[in-house]
Amino acid sequence: MGNTDVKKTKDAGFLSKIVHQQLFIPIAALLILAVFNLIADPSFFKITMGVSSTGDPVLSGYLITILDYGSELAILAIGMTLVTAASGGQDISVGAAIAIAGSVILRVLCGTNSRPDELQTSVFVAFIVACLVAMLFGAFNGILVAHFKIQPMVATLILYTAGRSIAAWINNNELPIISEPSFSYYGGFIPGIPIPTPFFIAIICVIIIALVLKFTNLGLYTQAVGINEKSSRLNGINPVFIKFLSFVILGLCVAVVGLIKVSRFSTINYSVIAKDIEMDAILAVALGGNALSGGKFNMAASILGAYVIQFLTTTLYKFDVQSDALPAYKAVVVIILVVLSAPSVRAKLSQLGKKRHVKEVA
Amino acid sequence: MGNKMNKLTNKKRLVSIILAGVLLLGGCGAKEVSNTEDTVAEDQFSEEIVIGFSQLGAESDWRTANTQSMKDTFTSDKGYRLIVEDGQQQQSNQIMAIRKFIQQEVDYIVLAPVTETGWDTVLQEAKDAGIPVIIVDRQVDVSDESLFTCWIGSDFSLEGKKAAEWLHQFAVAKDIPESDIHIANIQGTIGASAQIGRTEGLQEGAKKYGWDLLAEVPGEFTQAKGKEVMESLLKEYPQINVVYCENDNEALGAIEAIESAGKTVGSDILQGEIMVMSFDAVTKNIMRCIMRNKITFDAGCNPHHGPRVEAQIQLLEAGKVPDMFSYVEERIYSYDATVPSLEVDNNSYSVTVVTSKTLEEFK
Amino acid sequence: MMKKIKNMSDTNMLLTITIVIFFAMYIGAILFLGEGFLKPQTFLSILNANAALIITSCGMSIVMITGGIDISVGGVVALVSMCSAVYLDQKGGSIGGAILISLAIGLAFGIVQGYLVAYLDIQPFIVSLAGMFFARGMTTIVNNKPFNVANEAFVKLKDTRVIVPGLGSYNRLGKYIDAYVEIGVVVALIIVVLLFVLLRWGKLGRHFYAVGGNQQSALMLGINVKRTKFLSHLLCSLLAGIGGFVYFLHVGSGSPSHAMGMEMNAIASSIIGGTMLTGGVGNIIGTLFGVLSLSTIQNIVSSAGFDEAWWTGITIAAMLCLFLVIQSVVMARKKKALAKQ
Repeated sequence: MGNTDVKKTKDAGFLSKIVHQQLFIPIAALLILAVFNLIADPSFFKITMGVSSTGDPVLSGYLITILDYGSELAILAIGMTLVTAASGGQDISVGAAIAIAGSVILRVLCGTNSRPDELQTSVFVAFIVACLVAMLFGAFNGILVAHFKIQPMVATLILYTAGRSIAAWINNNELPIISEPSFSYYGGFIPGIPIPTPFFIAIICVIIIALVLKFTNLGLYTQAVGINEKSSRLNGINPVFIKFLSFVILGLCVAVVGLIKVSRFSTINYSVIAKDIEMDAILAVALGGNALSGGKFNMAASILGAYVIQFLTTTLYKFDVQSDALPAYKAVVVIILVVLSAPSVRAKLSQLGKKRHVKEVA
Repeated sequence: MGNKMNKLTNKKRLVSIILAGVLLLGGCGAKEVSNTEDTVAEDQFSEEIVIGFSQLGAESDWRTANTQSMKDTFTSDKGYRLIVEDGQQQQSNQIMAIRKFIQQEVDYIVLAPVTETGWDTVLQEAKDAGIPVIIVDRQVDVSDESLFTCWIGSDFSLEGKKAAEWLHQFAVAKDIPESDIHIANIQGTIGASAQIGRTEGLQEGAKKYGWDLLAEVPGEFTQAKGKEVMESLLKEYPQINVVYCENDNEALGAIEAIESAGKTVGSDILQGEIMVMSFDAVTKNIMRCIMRNKITFDAGCNPHHGPRVEAQIQLLEAGKVPDMFSYVEERIYSYDATVPSLEVDNNSYSVTVVTSKTLEEFK
Repeated sequence: MMKKIKNMSDTNMLLTITIVIFFAMYIGAILFLGEGFLKPQTFLSILNANAALIITSCGMSIVMITGGIDISVGGVVALVSMCSAVYLDQKGGSIGGAILISLAIGLAFGIVQGYLVAYLDIQPFIVSLAGMFFARGMTTIVNNKPFNVANEAFVKLKDTRVIVPGLGSYNRLGKYIDAYVEIGVVVALIIVVLLFVLLRWGKLGRHFYAVGGNQQSALMLGINVKRTKFLSHLLCSLLAGIGGFVYFLHVGSGSPSHAMGMEMNAIASSIIGGTMLTGGVGNIIGTLFGVLSLSTIQNIVSSAGFDEAWWTGITIAAMLCLFLVIQSVVMARKKKALAKQ
């Protein structure tokens, strides 16, 4: 008798350990979605080998779409996780900032003629300029948040409003088109490689951030500032700088996504590009089990969260949900997530769990 | 001590910000006084014609070319002053702009309406104020036609008919059975005159010649939406061999979607190519697409309304009554001369084959 | 004079700045852009176009005074006008029914968001962000195309004008044209007066300020903090519902792109009107002037020849930024003063 009791508690302990793992939430969500699709229509998982217009082999299928578009989100999630952890708030201007970065890239590539026959500079130079501009706007947000102590979401609301206007202004509201085929590699396929390029870009970004977190104190300092600003200051960390830095890093991520986005279309639409992407990025962080009020974070969980969100989006698309109606469904997911992670709800849930446990033992 | 200093500087900072703000405003005010005197003086000397132009937005290349044409025509050298208001796709913004023009007592109002209905009240106000209103591009649906002076624009249903007739002639020339034509229609913004006219043209053609019209999906006249719609259409209907896009931006998006799905665009539809048909043809880039047979057929839609509007205004200035409805001339472009000319409603229209020479006419 | 400024409370000082700036701007516009702005109807047209914004901004101010924020208002306005439009045009409903629908949608959003924020302690920004996306998504689900409402009774109500005596002017044909406001403006002004009274003399109004100023001390004073927060969100969404109907009455159509960015304008108006993001400070009259300043500057920008659409967005953002920084400086000053005590 006694033996089974011990075993039971051991089992419960093991289970709760899994449940309390941060990666549990995104993985569970992923599994639910996968099973749902498997039952509804197994062809969701079909991957076919096609041929692109240039005659190169490319993979296509829903999973590839997820890999492709989820990568953009994963890159954003890296920056958003840092911002969330350090400042306890989110940056809602990323979509607008992507429009700016994309517009800058096109402007630099096109020069004064919006339909150039050849590129004015190399893509690399344009990308570097876009990085600088995006980091500058990140710094603007950072100053408002870190120095002027304005709530992050309100501070970034400024750029959220003005961003797309600024993007249109950079190109005189023209719609530049790049006819150079090699420009489309970044958001499409590199000839000969059947996997979408954004995935490789995401991998590079992930490796860089993993190295940075491993070999510097950035992660530790960010968490310290997010958990308790005062005590971190007493420990010799400059919270203003750390918060500022997180926004600048997000700016860098924005520039990378901006490049992918404009490369996809070889042009830009100021009011539509990266629309509502801020919602997805925040959702990725939340789905990764990170507290939206700041403090401890798990980068891997956020990145996985990003792909799960894209999985959700693609699933919804597959079921003929209109793109304009998507936000309604995602909003419901957000609400469920935040309600589940709300402290008062958690307390109640764990109480319920305990009661059941007591009953079982009895 | 340090604390006190800090407090002092903070207070100073605050006061200086406020002062700077007030000074800035004051400064502007002072400058503005002299400005008004200048304009008043100018007004007395020259009889400039003030035109308020309420443009609906800047969603496509066609629209940008349309706005530019107005700006190029009504220059200050010719004695005009043009005030442009961008409605950003909202009727309420356009109504507000017209009310503003009325308040500013402009001489003429030019309106490119975003929708056809809902203009009665504001046009009545303009009429009461004695300001002639010229409608361009899309039409307005009002209870009383005397509410506007005249309309200038494209005959969208004619464009649609041209496209349908061309497709029929093409099928005949290439010996393609009509029932083997599987068409997907990427529509414009639902309710816009261009969408209605062009969709009708296709629907009539499909009925008349027995084409297989698979789907009609709105693409909002934008490239991004066009691509998105085309992607899902390709997954749903793999048999598509003709895509009928209701403007060029949608066509560009559709071409991208087709190519990234690993298919080719072109006119050889029996060999698995997908043929793209489109409308507008206003940019060099599009002309290039036609030349390369990425877009096989393109019915032109002339955006250069400026000179036509100017002609009407000159008529009105001279006290004459212009025609109530007038159409701008429009051409038809194609990749090759499979169909050299076509006949619609007993009028014959020739098809322009796009060559590098045609390209030079475009910006 | 300096001493007087020094002794002013934060509320009054921010309010004074707003009013001074508004008048300076309007006088500047009259001088710079000429007769158009001198006509009373120009000012009344600004009111007509912004009646809905005034109402939603008032709601926003209340939430902000209580220390929260609500960015779902634009979405709610769009959803309300779409639902009313569909109900009136396609379902053949009555105006009374449409008003009820508007209020119900507002209430529903208020109850859910208020409960999540007040009783589950979730950040208001996240809750209302989800609310905004939900409302926008629902709007397109209800109907994804813009259309005008042709319902006769509605069109009649929409075109009803309240003549303002003595402010009309003669047009160039020599015809006298009456100055008018739309019904929405009357509704908006009544709401402003009611809320002003509530915030200044009402018990609930004092609770809003107390909770926004300092939750702990509000709790110690025996105020039910959760209930107060809940009510502030409820009131805000309800006002968004009313604002939605007024907006609908002004534009007379339903469209998914209606009221795009309205939440932003409402927040900006409140902030420009002297409501502090940190809570506890704010004034409804200031909010009214905030809306007027915002739309006046938009008018100035477009009349001054910056016709491209992007200038509007950039100007609002710049103005908002300026006022946020002023507030931040005021806060820093206050903190220093407290520290000294």
